[in-house]
Amino acid sequence: MVLDPKMKQAVIRRTVRKFAEEKLVPAAAEMDAKAEFPVRVAEEMAALQYFGLEIPAAYAGAGLDCVCYAIVIEEISKASGAMGLCISVHNSVSAFPVYEFGKESQRQAFLIPMAKGEKIGTFCLTEPNAGSDASSIETTAVRDGDGFILNGSKIFVTNGGVSGLNLIFAITNPSEKGREYSVFVVESEREGFEKGAQEDLMGMRGNPVCPIVLNDCRVPRENLLGDEGQGMRIALSTLDGGRIGIGSQALGIGQACLEASIKYAQERYQFGKRIADFGAIQGFLADMATRIEAARLLIFRASSLRDRNMPHSRESAMAKLFASETAVDAARIGLQIHGGYGYSKAYPIERYYRDAKVCEIYEGTSEVQRIVIARSLMNK
Amino acid sequence: MNIVVCIKQVPDTPNIRIDRERMTIIRDGVESIINPLDRIALEAALDLKQKEGGKISVLTMGPSQSEEALREAMAAGADEAILLTDPHFAGADTLATSKVIGRAISRMDPFPDLILCGKQTIDSDTGHVGPQLAEELNWPQVCGVTEIHVEMNALVVKQVSDGFQNTYRVSFPALLTVSQGLNVPRHIPLGDLEQAFSNGRVIRWGLKDLNLRPEEVGFSGSATTVVRLYRPPQKRKGEVVSGSSQTLAEHLIAKLVSLSILDEDEAE
Amino acid sequence: MKTKQNRDWEGVWVFGDYRNYFQNRVTLQLIAKGNQLARNLGVDLTVLVLGSQIHQYAMEYTAHGADVVMVVDHPNLKNYQVETYVRVVSKLVESFRPEIFLAGATAFGREFFPRLAKRLNTGLSADCVSLEIEAERRLLIQTTPAFGGELLADIITPEYRPQMATVHPDVFEERIHDHEATARILYPEVEIEAEERVQLIRSKPDQSRKGGLEEAEIVVVGGKGLGSKENFQMLFELARLLGGDVGATRPVILSGWTEESRLLGQTGKSVKPKLLITAGTSGAVQYTTGIQGAETIIAINRDPHAPIFKMADLGLVGDVKTVLSLLLENLKKRL
Repeated sequence: MVLDPKMKQAVIRRTVRKFAEEKLVPAAAEMDAKAEFPVRVAEEMAALQYFGLEIPAAYAGAGLDCVCYAIVIEEISKASGAMGLCISVHNSVSAFPVYEFGKESQRQAFLIPMAKGEKIGTFCLTEPNAGSDASSIETTAVRDGDGFILNGSKIFVTNGGVSGLNLIFAITNPSEKGREYSVFVVESEREGFEKGAQEDLMGMRGNPVCPIVLNDCRVPRENLLGDEGQGMRIALSTLDGGRIGIGSQALGIGQACLEASIKYAQERYQFGKRIADFGAIQGFLADMATRIEAARLLIFRASSLRDRNMPHSRESAMAKLFASETAVDAARIGLQIHGGYGYSKAYPIERYYRDAKVCEIYEGTSEVQRIVIARSLMNK
Repeated sequence: MNIVVCIKQVPDTPNIRIDRERMTIIRDGVESIINPLDRIALEAALDLKQKEGGKISVLTMGPSQSEEALREAMAAGADEAILLTDPHFAGADTLATSKVIGRAISRMDPFPDLILCGKQTIDSDTGHVGPQLAEELNWPQVCGVTEIHVEMNALVVKQVSDGFQNTYRVSFPALLTVSQGLNVPRHIPLGDLEQAFSNGRVIRWGLKDLNLRPEEVGFSGSATTVVRLYRPPQKRKGEVVSGSSQTLAEHLIAKLVSLSILDEDEAE
Repeated sequence: MKTKQNRDWEGVWVFGDYRNYFQNRVTLQLIAKGNQLARNLGVDLTVLVLGSQIHQYAMEYTAHGADVVMVVDHPNLKNYQVETYVRVVSKLVESFRPEIFLAGATAFGREFFPRLAKRLNTGLSADCVSLEIEAERRLLIQTTPAFGGELLADIITPEYRPQMATVHPDVFEERIHDHEATARILYPEVEIEAEERVQLIRSKPDQSRKGGLEEAEIVVVGGKGLGSKENFQMLFELARLLGGDVGATRPVILSGWTEESRLLGQTGKSVKPKLLITAGTSGAVQYTTGIQGAETIIAINRDPHAPIFKMADLGLVGDVKTVLSLLLENLKKRL
């Protein structure tokens, strides 16, 4: 008898929501105010396998499918955008390539500690001069005997401040004309690997984003992920999953805005009635709810395709694009609904506003997503 | 120790709509959860299994969708799940429910040493099934337990009852219903949920499997009938007064006097 | 048990739960109500008392309205014990065949009565808040709460006898103690066996949960409508003068006017005081679920359309701060 997958999805959603309400919601404001990563909550999450969501049980992961993964990210992000960002990047963009491209020995050495949350992962791609134009990075990895020496600097590394394992995207044949990239797994303790001060950001302040510097950092061959020259392929492989992850993270923030706005509108009285009874506010709420529902369905479609091993680059780009823009919009309107109180830190809506914006930027800007979608529509 | 935990899937909502035909609530589109006290009972079973070893079977009587609650219980650590489901079981009061569950437990192999249930559910609130199940099986019972200890051949349990804290020694096999405060249920790792839903096996028993007749179960086997289900009428007087602050304050004082919170004789 | 002929069963019985007598009045309340039901049916009201050295309770129940008091006095019945009591009582029910049997919804009642009902193979409703007779079929209409009190259910037990119910305390009013009242006292012969399987090792009064917001008889609650933290402080003074405690709504907590432990509502505490004064609260459902059990609610709010007025016994529309100041002034003069 085949079980309706919605049953499992409902239970997972409820389970995560309960955890998030109990442990993350009370911590979220302080995380933001102090720009501090909640180490103890993260440890509890690690024990519940939040850092190994899609990794198979054989490597200490939870073995969830993508649909359930998206649900987890959404519910965590609803409570705390910063923590949703942490586990989304760790799972989709850091642990995933280690699983996909790692040799068995690397899975044992790197993947298992990541799945257990003992080592939080990063993917260090962006540099001061390389954002959307990833191929223009300058970090180099030069052969040295059996290993490589890495030099360069990376910025805006999500999870950087607490990471244990870092995927470094570097050029492996710097002297030659046609560029070749490779990905290296670099332990945070390794000599020559340095973390800079935490960035002072507008939002997602509970996430320890920081720059890192590689200063003659020597890594053995065992730390090369995949083959030499396979780096761009590895980076591209994380895109679809990463988009679904960030899309879900944005969706969570949007949902938080919606719930806060509905509640506030029913409690706030002006001109003798609840503001929820005014048409203008009803219009806001209706549009917000509709767009959020659409975003959820786009994410569901992309993740369902992924679970069936079908191509989903366009769908994941659409999901990320739409969900991130919806979140920003929901935050803007939500804050407007809250009026003066919305501008105060006494209510969480201003944090959602600050957290939402970056969703349109990282993991592929909205402009890049549009290019991806447009290209997919045309004949070669 | 072989433990059976009886659970019930209940609606999780403060906003209830009534099906006036069937005199029950509308469950469509409403999230269902494991009754909170049953989850505490399951947690108690997990603690006991950790100390004493053995097997935990979780059991529920309900429609097919109750399977969701059983699988969640398996994810939490139950070894076996049994769903008692049959169209004939519907509409049962606690008398008929305890009959079905009792018969199911009698069928189990190995036979359990201990049955744990939540003291009551958040929907029907009766708290009857535990004691009636104990009677069906002719087992000793203690209800509303707040502590459980295992001794040589008995259980020592604590209960708060009518202002007294009682400690009992109960011989095996026994049925206990648990109260809030016995424990705080652990969070379930996500991988365990995945496993329970993908690989878990739920045993299903119906009327025939339990060797019961239709008139013994469900609506036919019930002694009580719900003839009406309705919202409580608004019992507040709802007297609203406007006027000067002085007038309002006087009304307030008068009310406090009428409630005997203030004495009348202190004239202003 | 299932009956073909309901007329074989006659009489209204009440179980005499005397634990915590004199504070626990539910048996006396049931005697009063049972008396009314019995008159309605033209039968006697019998109170059944089990225990050891319980003659005084027989006297009390007589004085409070019993027609008959059935006493089973035996050392083995000294401690309330579910299985022993079920054994004894079921035999008596089978002999005497009452059509209705009521017990207070005390913790013991709610543990003992269901097992008894199962032994007797009859229906039982829990924690009733209303009881009425439908005379034609001699049915007891039992009204019980469901979903934590969100709904009420009217229940009948048409084909089984006795019709059993546990009843919520303080729903009915007891009759005044009447020295002159008389009743038939019966001492039925019943075999009493000592209980083996559940042994009471220790029993002591429960000291936990004394004090705190949930225990307060009077609660004053402030909402955002008070305007400022300074204004909110007035509530502490008010509570002190009235001998109560202070609660708050979530917006107040978020504004830092007082600590989270005073939060009332869906995500906070629920209180059921004798009196609740709620000032400057609009009445959002997330808050009101925490106070709906209060006996009397007085609401003060500037907005005449605030939903809080729908659930108040007395609503005052005006400036919250001024009204409270005047109230405090008055109270300070008196007390």
